[in-house]
Amino acid sequence: MSETAGLQRIKVEDLLQRDSWDVDPRPHIRLNAEKCAGCPTKPCTRMCPAGCYVEAGGSIVFSYEGCLECGTCRVVCPMEAIEWDYPVSGRGIQYRTA
Amino acid sequence: MRFDAVVVGAGPAGAAAAYAAASGGLKVLLVERGRGAGSKQVYGGKVYSHYLEEALGDLKGAPIERWVGKERLSIVDDAGRTATLEYEGGSTRAFTAHLTKLAAWLVDRAVSAGAVFVDEVRVDSLRRDPSGRFSGVEAGGELVEADVIIDAEGVNRLLLERAGLVERASTRDLALGVKEVVRIGEKEVEERFGLDKGEGLSWILVGGVTGGLPGGAFVYTNKDTVSLGLVLYVDAAARAIEEPVHSMIEKLRTHPALHRYWADGDVVEYAAKLTPESGYRYMPRRLVADGLMVAGDAAGMLLNLGYTFRGVDYAVYSGYMAGRAAIAARDRGGPTEENLRELYEEPLRRSRPFRDLWRLRGVERAMEGGDRYFRRYPALMGAALRSMFELGESTPSIYEALMGAAEESGISIIGALVDALMMARSI
Repeated sequence: MSETAGLQRIKVEDLLQRDSWDVDPRPHIRLNAEKCAGCPTKPCTRMCPAGCYVEAGGSIVFSYEGCLECGTCRVVCPMEAIEWDYPVSGRGIQYRTA
Repeated sequence: MRFDAVVVGAGPAGAAAAYAAASGGLKVLLVERGRGAGSKQVYGGKVYSHYLEEALGDLKGAPIERWVGKERLSIVDDAGRTATLEYEGGSTRAFTAHLTKLAAWLVDRAVSAGAVFVDEVRVDSLRRDPSGRFSGVEAGGELVEADVIIDAEGVNRLLLERAGLVERASTRDLALGVKEVVRIGEKEVEERFGLDKGEGLSWILVGGVTGGLPGGAFVYTNKDTVSLGLVLYVDAAARAIEEPVHSMIEKLRTHPALHRYWADGDVVEYAAKLTPESGYRYMPRRLVADGLMVAGDAAGMLLNLGYTFRGVDYAVYSGYMAGRAAIAARDRGGPTEENLRELYEEPLRRSRPFRDLWRLRGVERAMEGGDRYFRRYPALMGAALRSMFELGESTPSIYEALMGAAEESGISIIGALVDALMMARSI
């Protein structure tokens, strides 16, 4: 599959801009950095649809703000290093057409 | 605060449960974590109408986008060569809809039937009384008591896990769906997909569209938008995926064979959701406990055959059964485990959807056969069709084309036939 001129792939940051949000200042995801550091495969970096987990200098930099609330990171994390719940008070992603 | 029934989650299962229970005169509270009804709802895009009509009596006012009049199934190889089977001219039983709107419509029906709907409330735990009976839900430190709880929390079973009723979900049981909604305009939807006015398309693609990973891609037409997405089996994808999943869906949108359908369109939404990969396997050992019933995705009520998915209609069906069971239990001495087993779990296990989940579980398992179905057979097909249709100097017979393709792709025709037979037998 090759890319076609005029049809560039949209970067995940821009893809997320198409959605509506009410971000909770209190994170609904917590990462145990110690457990995370021991992970050899880091599947979260590829499996999170929102690209919330990014590898930088061997460790994971994570942000919860763009979370689509699918729950994938919680199940793919081999270290069980992710403490995950839904946001409270109706915060987070606001789907309109999904 | 005390209710006859508390329903956790206002998705298709929860809303149907609240509708059924309230219709029978129960005092029902329907609790939803999202803002307004529908705001956290994600699925692919198509709903089979049969069980909705059975549960609700009619679909009056339902936010239907298009009735599906055209079904397509495509096998794509890694080079982008595509073989498509198209079915039309039948009488349709499925429609496309936005689940955000469909869930809101279902919640309206529940509220009209007398249910109390509360949004922006995230339930934190299911509560038991000292005898071990489920007696209420706790949210933000507040307790709501009820005779019976219907857990329709969805695929992420945080509450059931905390209550010790199910194990922590395994990657082997789940698939990840990601979806983009692209607006192209009503006329364009009909022109580009060759549809009549108001007619919809449902299109499933397997093979190269997932880079050979187990799973597939889907395209559904809405009124003036197109929903396109990928479904990946989480376990296989987590081990073999080479680029981020958000990059893979963009690869799908910009696929040379597909992009013309939504060229110049605006991506208006990007969404993701986990689903049970095999509903049968995801089903909790018990669907009831003393004072508790489980419905919808949380109960594994989703059928995935690779070329078709039934989630929303099965969710509505199981939720409706749970709501009815809540009424029947009240008339029979209360929602004890024994009563709920007799009134909900056993009838559900005898129902057509459940029997189909059981009967077809082998197909779901075969889908995990991964590489063969999702990379090697598409490659065989691509090579065979190329030599049949891309003619130059010589003209091969179908037999020669197949044998040449087998040699080129290194796949045995006999092996493929055996697989097809095994697949047929597993049904």
